[in-house]
Amino acid sequence: MPPHPCESCHTSRAQILRPSTGIRLCAPCFTLAFETETAATITSSSLFHPGERIAIGASGGKDSTVLASVLQTLNTRYSWGLELVLLSIDEGIAGYRDHSLEAVKRNAEVLGLPLKILGYEELYGWSMDAVVAQVGRKGNCTYCGVFRRQALDRGAAVLGVRHVVTGHNADDVAETVVMNLLRGDLARLGRGTSLVTGTGGTGGEGGFASVKRSKPLMWAYGKEIVMYAHHKRLDYFSTECIYSPEAFRGSARTLIKNLERIRPESILDVVRSGIDMARLVPGAGGEGGSGSQRVEAIPRDAEDDTGGGCSGGNGEDAGGEMARVEETLRLNERAEEEGTETEIRLPAKAVNGQRHDRDGLHTGPPAAALPATVNGQNHDRHTHTPDIAVVPIRTKQEKKSGRKTAGDKLLPRQRLGQCERCGYLSSQAVCKACMLLEGLNKARPRTGIEVRGAGG
Amino acid sequence: MTGPPKTRRDNVAVDNSLCRRCQTNAPTVTVRTEPLCSPCFNKYVSTKIIKRMESFRVRHAEAGHERLLLLPLSLRACSIVLLHILSQHLRTQGEKSGRTGYRLHVLYVEDGKGEASVASDLFEMVQHRYPEHTYSTRPLSDALALAGMQELLNPHQATTQDSTANVNSSDLSTLFANLTSTTSRTDLHHLLLRKLLVHSALTHTCSAILWASSTTRLAERTLAETAKGLAFTLPTQTRDGETPLGGVPSYYPMRDLLRKEILSYTSLVSPDLGSLILEEKPRPAVSTRDTSIDELMKQYFSSVEREYPSIVANVVRTTGKLLVERVEEGLEGRGHAPERSRLCFGCIRILQGREAGG
Repeated sequence: MPPHPCESCHTSRAQILRPSTGIRLCAPCFTLAFETETAATITSSSLFHPGERIAIGASGGKDSTVLASVLQTLNTRYSWGLELVLLSIDEGIAGYRDHSLEAVKRNAEVLGLPLKILGYEELYGWSMDAVVAQVGRKGNCTYCGVFRRQALDRGAAVLGVRHVVTGHNADDVAETVVMNLLRGDLARLGRGTSLVTGTGGTGGEGGFASVKRSKPLMWAYGKEIVMYAHHKRLDYFSTECIYSPEAFRGSARTLIKNLERIRPESILDVVRSGIDMARLVPGAGGEGGSGSQRVEAIPRDAEDDTGGGCSGGNGEDAGGEMARVEETLRLNERAEEEGTETEIRLPAKAVNGQRHDRDGLHTGPPAAALPATVNGQNHDRHTHTPDIAVVPIRTKQEKKSGRKTAGDKLLPRQRLGQCERCGYLSSQAVCKACMLLEGLNKARPRTGIEVRGAGG
Repeated sequence: MTGPPKTRRDNVAVDNSLCRRCQTNAPTVTVRTEPLCSPCFNKYVSTKIIKRMESFRVRHAEAGHERLLLLPLSLRACSIVLLHILSQHLRTQGEKSGRTGYRLHVLYVEDGKGEASVASDLFEMVQHRYPEHTYSTRPLSDALALAGMQELLNPHQATTQDSTANVNSSDLSTLFANLTSTTSRTDLHHLLLRKLLVHSALTHTCSAILWASSTTRLAERTLAETAKGLAFTLPTQTRDGETPLGGVPSYYPMRDLLRKEILSYTSLVSPDLGSLILEEKPRPAVSTRDTSIDELMKQYFSSVEREYPSIVANVVRTTGKLLVERVEEGLEGRGHAPERSRLCFGCIRILQGREAGG
């Protein structure tokens, strides 16, 4: 690149062409701009309060490494008085986590921050390698995702921390928006774009049921995070999980990468679109509230994507998930066309009440929309009781009137309670992790962590 | 547990070497994993479209005062198929009840892209084949003369009272040439087209515009608008019926058909429709910096369409469930750029965001 002066300080030679703005900057001006923008995201939404204890979900990858470094810098620069601690989860996958954990340890030393490492083995009695040895490579991502989500919250509880921050960046959020559009998941569309999500618990409750989760790097480009890490000589170790990549996210990721090449601003635009669509989801609170700085904690559930590192909590084997969704949709379409009732077997994840009948135009009997499954037992992979949802008959009359009321149909609300075994927030009587563990333990009895009421 | 009655499929062994529906003929096309013979496939396509024309049945129409519907004909496969099937529909209505539920006015918009002579030949052939409708042509540059357009495009110039006199096709090409990206050219093209069609519909007293957009096209639009930060407009842009800003209602009778299904249909009809269709220019296989966002989405969905057709339909259905935002004319409210702004709301938001660090 021919020599240009930095467009900010006009003194040094510009070394960087920023993907987000197209402005040429020298390295110090770039890192300063990056830090200042992150600070703006934090202060404009009052993300932290002075003296707050914050756990940084540290995977050893570029995003969380940059996050930790930037938070440390800003904390000092602006005297926020935050107590920062690094929290790292060891899934127990040989050859994957080991190197990134080493990177986290080095970071902790360099930044001078305390570090807590929590392993699946010690938390649940099962490392991911052991899980895969048991269940094979189909559906193992589900275990990992569910375990990891709980692990971060449990780790936070152990540390006495109520607020966990993760390094999700704009690319991640954009991918999630596209993914949820492909899946037709309106509920997650609402949640995936929030700066902060919570577990619905109020401040007074203790334990891991009331941990807030936020993503201060939400507006930062993945490319710029790499650039920041490079110019600050940060130490990180990025890996892709050796077990499966998720088909939906992979497809969305390719699309976002191609989009970025044509028009880099589109990444942020997809995020903004996602936020707008979230506002327009029926039952989400509709037209209230302004733009992007919604700070209220939006309730999330145990299955929201964890992103980063691996593919995500809901991943099944590659191509499997897309094919499965395709199959379900097709059966629904066919049933609708024939105008007959059909028994349809729904995939396990539908039972949390988020994947209700595909077509919102139904005005048929209310009993039809997944009644038994929302409040009842979770559909465990290892049992064989089929969950049945009945697709109501839709006569021509209903179709016509249905069209008008399409927009008004509310999504079934999740009832957030607590798992009776471990107390974790769950919309079922027993949370997903406990269910999965029960299945694992039945098949191969092991003495693991005793959870309250285990064996019941 | 006693279950509800199962589908007929479950009671009869299905012969997969025969058409899935009639179990008589040999299949010629596979529709979302179902093998179908040509007659059944034709019926499948026609039924999907006719189902969407419920409100234009004969019984809803007054004799002699049938509603006139505008059918913009791009001369691409989808619009030709729509014209063909609706012509068939009208013929059937006429045979059954002696009158029709609606009439069609077919409009071709010349966009000066250099296909003019080929296009006008095709348009003539179409008129010969379906003489029962009324036809007209309009140049896209007419859109520049519409009320408010000059101000929109040239907010800093003093508006002349007789703006109609100044508009011609070279203005249009200059306008496009001044835009810096393919995406903005595509965007502007669509904007002008839409405004022109609404105007034409009002001029010809049409009750509605019938768009030939397939499921695939609607899915492309969904993601394209999302990528431009304009997802909040999606419910109004893809939904059947009125839009909050008034004007003429739009309908998308082909919204349940995939583009590849429509393309298969063109060769299974006799005489086939291929001779009426204006061919698309070959598209590059890989996206480059010059590709527009809409083009990227086209490439994306043509591959998704191949293996996961129901997912394509699902994207459109999902956005259809979103609530429509109430945008009031004239107010600088959510989603509305200030009057006389050169930028759309989405782009304004980027620039503001840049300053705020978001």
